[in-house]
Amino acid sequence: MRSTMGLSWKWTALFSLLSAFLCLIEPTLAVKEHDFKKCAQAGFCKRNRDYADQAAAQSSTWISPYQVVLESPSLKDGQIQAVILKTINAAGETVRLPVTISFLQSGVARVVVDEERRQNKDIEVRHGSAARKERYNEAAKWSIVGGLEPDLKAEIVHQDDSQINVKYGPEANFEAVIKLSPFGIDFRRDGASQIKFNERGLLNFEHWRAKIERPEGEENTEEDESTWWDESFGGSTDTKPLGPESVALDISFHGYEHVYGIPEHTGPLSLKQTRGGEGNYAEPYRLYNADVFEYILDSPMTLYGSIPFMQAHRKDSSVGLLWLNAADTWVDIIKTKGSSNPLSLNAEAPSSTQTHWISEAGILDIFVFLGPTPQDITKKYGELTGTTAMPQEFALGYHQCRWNYISQDDVKDVDRRFDKAQIPYDVIWLDIEYADGVRYFTFDPHSFSDPISIGKQLDSHGRKLVVIIDPHIKRVDNYPINEQLQSLDLAVHDKDGNIYEGDCWPGLSNWIDCFNPKAREWWKTLHKYENFNGTMENTFIWNDMNEPSVFHGPETTMPKDNLHYDNWEHRDVHNLNGMTYHHSTFEALKSRKKGEYRRPFVLTRAFFSGSQRFGAMWTGDNLADWGHLQTSITMLINQGISGFPFSGADVAGFFGDPESELITRWYQTAAFYPFFRAHAHIDTRRREPYLLGDPYSAIATAALRLRYSLLPSWYTTFFYANRDGSPILRPMFWTHPSSEGGLAIDDQFFLGSTGLLVKPIAEKDKYSTDIWIPDDETYYEYTTYNLVKTQQGKHVTFDAPIDRIPILMRGGHIISRRDIPRRSSTLMRFDPYTLVISVSKSGEAEGELYVDDGDSYEYQDGQYIYRKFSLKDDVISSADAEGRDTRKIKPGKWLKAMRDVHVDKIIIVGAPASWNREEVQVESEGRTWSAKVNYQAANGDRAAFATVSHIRARVGENWSIKLA
Amino acid sequence: MQHPKTLALLGAVCSLTVAAAGSVPRGVGPEFISHYQNKEVFACIANPSITISPDRVNDNTCDCPDGSDEPGTAACAFIDPRSPEQPLIGSPSGTTNATRSLPGFWCNNKGHIGGYIPFTFVNDGICDYDVCCDGSDENGSVNGVKCENRCAAMGKEYRRLAEERKKSVAKANIKKREMIKEAAELRQRAEARIAALEKDVKDLEAKKEDLQRKYAQVQNEEAGKIVKSKGGRGGKLGILLGLAKDRVEELREALRLVTEDREIMRSKKNELEAILMQFKQDHDPNSNDEGVKAAIKSFEDWAAREASADQSEFLESDVNEILKEDDETNGVNWKAFEEQQDDTDILYDFDAYIPPFIRDVLHDKIRIVRQWLISNGMMADPATDGSESSVVKAAREAAETAEQELGHKTRELDQERSDIQKDYGPSDIFRALQGKCAEIDAGEYTYELCWLDKTLQKSKKGHAHSNMGNYERTEIAIADEEERVDGRSLGSGPRMVMRYENGQTCWNGPQRRTDVWLGCAEKEEIWRVSEAEKCVYKLEVGTPVACEDEDVKKPDEKDEL
Repeated sequence: MRSTMGLSWKWTALFSLLSAFLCLIEPTLAVKEHDFKKCAQAGFCKRNRDYADQAAAQSSTWISPYQVVLESPSLKDGQIQAVILKTINAAGETVRLPVTISFLQSGVARVVVDEERRQNKDIEVRHGSAARKERYNEAAKWSIVGGLEPDLKAEIVHQDDSQINVKYGPEANFEAVIKLSPFGIDFRRDGASQIKFNERGLLNFEHWRAKIERPEGEENTEEDESTWWDESFGGSTDTKPLGPESVALDISFHGYEHVYGIPEHTGPLSLKQTRGGEGNYAEPYRLYNADVFEYILDSPMTLYGSIPFMQAHRKDSSVGLLWLNAADTWVDIIKTKGSSNPLSLNAEAPSSTQTHWISEAGILDIFVFLGPTPQDITKKYGELTGTTAMPQEFALGYHQCRWNYISQDDVKDVDRRFDKAQIPYDVIWLDIEYADGVRYFTFDPHSFSDPISIGKQLDSHGRKLVVIIDPHIKRVDNYPINEQLQSLDLAVHDKDGNIYEGDCWPGLSNWIDCFNPKAREWWKTLHKYENFNGTMENTFIWNDMNEPSVFHGPETTMPKDNLHYDNWEHRDVHNLNGMTYHHSTFEALKSRKKGEYRRPFVLTRAFFSGSQRFGAMWTGDNLADWGHLQTSITMLINQGISGFPFSGADVAGFFGDPESELITRWYQTAAFYPFFRAHAHIDTRRREPYLLGDPYSAIATAALRLRYSLLPSWYTTFFYANRDGSPILRPMFWTHPSSEGGLAIDDQFFLGSTGLLVKPIAEKDKYSTDIWIPDDETYYEYTTYNLVKTQQGKHVTFDAPIDRIPILMRGGHIISRRDIPRRSSTLMRFDPYTLVISVSKSGEAEGELYVDDGDSYEYQDGQYIYRKFSLKDDVISSADAEGRDTRKIKPGKWLKAMRDVHVDKIIIVGAPASWNREEVQVESEGRTWSAKVNYQAANGDRAAFATVSHIRARVGENWSIKLA
Repeated sequence: MQHPKTLALLGAVCSLTVAAAGSVPRGVGPEFISHYQNKEVFACIANPSITISPDRVNDNTCDCPDGSDEPGTAACAFIDPRSPEQPLIGSPSGTTNATRSLPGFWCNNKGHIGGYIPFTFVNDGICDYDVCCDGSDENGSVNGVKCENRCAAMGKEYRRLAEERKKSVAKANIKKREMIKEAAELRQRAEARIAALEKDVKDLEAKKEDLQRKYAQVQNEEAGKIVKSKGGRGGKLGILLGLAKDRVEELREALRLVTEDREIMRSKKNELEAILMQFKQDHDPNSNDEGVKAAIKSFEDWAAREASADQSEFLESDVNEILKEDDETNGVNWKAFEEQQDDTDILYDFDAYIPPFIRDVLHDKIRIVRQWLISNGMMADPATDGSESSVVKAAREAAETAEQELGHKTRELDQERSDIQKDYGPSDIFRALQGKCAEIDAGEYTYELCWLDKTLQKSKKGHAHSNMGNYERTEIAIADEEERVDGRSLGSGPRMVMRYENGQTCWNGPQRRTDVWLGCAEKEEIWRVSEAEKCVYKLEVGTPVACEDEDVKKPDEKDEL
């Protein structure tokens, strides 16, 4: 009796202990949702949603109280200036809102609305705050870098008491119909409405008002003031010295069922509806850069970065919208079926998407893009906000990171083991533990006593070191950097004007204010080699926590009433903060040494429209599970069409210990991430690819080597992204805008214009997948050259055992590879090229190769090779893609070295039997020699292919090969 | 302009690659020379049906599906089991995922030691001097990089270091032999102790049996003697009973108070625990507030310890049983004791019926007899014991002492025996290290290795020490570490690893464990400590134990035979 009782007592105890520990563990497995606001908890969001509900309830009797008064009703220099009068009460009192509508040469239209009284600083700021009286109007200063040339040909083609019609656009086929009362704009292309402002009357410009102090118990009977003034959330109070000041507008996309963009979220590429209902979200998409711990999937919740750029698409037509506002922003989306549209007489009318944009503060500043192709939208967005910086070439290789490699011996050992296993990698990373007590710009004297020795070992194989530098500066004595930050007054201030103190990795910290030009200059000095001891030419920087992340701060960030440079409230600039910091580091890396003019590499977590100009981003602290692997693909595709394609997700998930199969599939997927970095939390087990064991290490190695072999194509794709903002991972709607079945597909993509169609496996125990085929072209399997039996719109089944990635080659492309496996991308720079030609149905193919020194800006002086390869009429040829006479370019050191680099092998997949011969003649710059051909006839599913080898054609010169 | 340059280049390539008859092409290792020498045509090693002219060997174009035509370039490096797969007609798998015939690029390294480097390292612009001191891995085709021959200097330095190392190893081996000797002595001593103990045990067993026999005899003799205790009702036993009963009540009351106190403390503890759990849950896990971090860590350690600590043997149910009032079914049945009438009571009763004068005489006589009995040891002295005579007591105590002594010796013997069977490594050598510890400073901790005992992480900041594992066993594992000039490296090859396991439990993780890798050194020293992942430690330790020397030929085997 006694013993069994004892036993049961012990079991009970064990269970209760276990359950106690489970309680401890469980909450860490999911995001702390209650730490972040829902719309109803953000006063301005709730007010505007309520306003929308009110409008919907009153339906036909709802009248938007905004009217345009034309004081100088002319179109001058592509601009119309007017004033919108907002009627604010029954007595008919109005508030003046100056509006500027600009028509740009690119065909983009811009609408800016401000508040006159605040422009004139004719208001009072509560609580004695030093905050500026104007509405924040500098987002464009940070985001917009070009594309603002006015369309001088824009003209008013019609004007009456109710509306003004302006024709504009490169082909004068765009039209803006400005409705005067109530205010609204109908943007048309070729006479058809595409985008409408204020169609539903949800324009809401919360004008400044004085707070009327009422006696206790007496309330405003006309309006609900409860969320106008001080607001509390999660234990902190926002003093809101300017009261309610939100701006909101409804924007409808007529006939568009799909809208994409507004990263960063975890939902599908084709955005969901947000006002409830089966399969929809109940919350708006939110854009408020935040350090969200263990974020959840399929959610409109905000994440680390935001790009308020939306693209709408239907078969054969794309339009877009940039809502340039850096404050806390929410976007509601509803979709209407054509027949339910009361304005439409056509029962067959297509679906439409209605959006409702709500920002907490600032001016209204909206750019409208009328397409009509996805390429037009991307290009014009790139002209405005800038395109992807030409990257350091190494940055396209593989990055090995971990929180943390714990010592210099550890780093060197990992480096050595990669070589031992013959796995290529380019960069090893140091997370926060390298810095002495998380004092950035120092190295821990015990574990990293000789960081230069790391740099040198890495450099001996062309590798790089990336160290983390975050914007929080440890508030501690005897730390000169904090002393300077304080004494030079370069930090963010709190609402009372004192230097703001908060908590982050180092404990008590202050934050650099990169809106301050002096802070940016100071930041440069810190990065100089002589000041940041332990760094050298192959050291680059990682900027994390720049949302900014503030532990214990409201929503893990700064109070909104904090003050930045020039007394702008944090509320106004929050979403820009990360970009200004990223930008500052980018500039700092360009000025580390006098005379050194090299491309920086800086990774950021927070971002905004324009961040693409400064480096790469990653999707933050994901989880090592299959769902996160799948979602990463969609998130990176969305980054690409939102102008910031240099993106990656932590391989194989930041939190947790992934199983071998998941790690392997993750490497196979990430071989196609534009930014390919493995990273892991400090509590996880080591999982460097050489540790995976058989067969996983070999499979991961093959995936890595695939990435490296395709680097010439990757670099060319980045060149395109730099040139015209085009995405790197291209979704079906972008490459095939006319193929309706592909408009919502977000788990497969083309890599640039290589014609490589990839659909990674992101499910456990899944060994085949169905790839959707967007056109009637020929497709081959990349690894086997098997001919795929298919046609447009068909799903083809692809067998994908654990060692195979589903990749198809679309007929008609020529891709460039380097097939010799090397230790790093640097060591491949002078290896010969292999071209792979997939012959199209018409027997032709085309492809381009861009290459430069991958490091400097000398490409701006013509020091690059840019070839166009083509197969036509049985001849393969190479010509300068821009028609330059390359012989007239004075070669620098790199270009000279490239004279010995050849195209040495060409594999032609789908080669007709007429090319079955022993050898062919290569002709180049007046000389002719022969190259060997090995022809393999079709065999079973495998297409016929010919391998031309020993070609020895200089990659930078014109050459041709006649195949028959 | 370009034409002559190209010709010059091609010429350079030719001179570097193709062999005149009789010479060996670049990169061919000694065991493959026959395939390349004096051949009209070159036949691919694994596919001899494929032949090419010798001038296509090392022409930087991969012609053989086994890669054998490019022993001196990287042109066939894409044929590899870890390659991204592409069709390759003629290879065993029909794809590029295949094994090449050649192990790598052979660096002859005249003046030093020859070796293979991977083909992927050839012509990549890097001089891989660690294997290829002759610099033959770069032929100038990549960005003009050529590597000077450093074999003379490197070979010399290598030989110098090898000599130094050899001397050091020799010294270490002297030390090792001393240790083996010491270990053998220690073993002999232990064996001697065992022998002595075995004898002691044997003697004690005999003694114990003898005394037990005597005790039994005395007990027998004493049995049947009628004794009357002094005192009131029930005599001494009765008083004892009363006292015991009171005392039990007193103790029960005290226990009740303690239990109540404990309940209060327990609920306070639970409350605090709940507060800390909430604190842990709610604190920002990204926070790096030193105070918060330390508090959370201490809490986690505490929680982990709580989880792994043995539960008290003192069971709740026991306490409850004790706290209940005594009655017939629970605890001591006092009533039964109180009501029981023993033999002396009968005597008393008889006493009451005889006349007083006879009674007095009788009592006198009895007293005299009793005194005589006591003085002769036939009856227990009531002053010393309530029920046992001094004779019985002495016999019993003697037997018990002998038994205790025997138990003690037996345990000692068992310990010695298990110790002698314990794995002390080859030649019992770790015996020489038993009880010794070594330390190393690393960052904010000092790490301590106690041989065959445990490993410890000692905080310099005053946090609690953590046990990183207790010695379990020694195994052989394959080391793969960089050789170091100072010799303080495990190098590559099979090495002894001492596994220390089941250390203090990590929060949210496994129990700490340590692998102690042994490398050859002149004295015991911890070279470095690393924690590649949380709570899994690796100590690289130098000790003469790990040395191998020509002079000490497989001592472990010799010993075991």
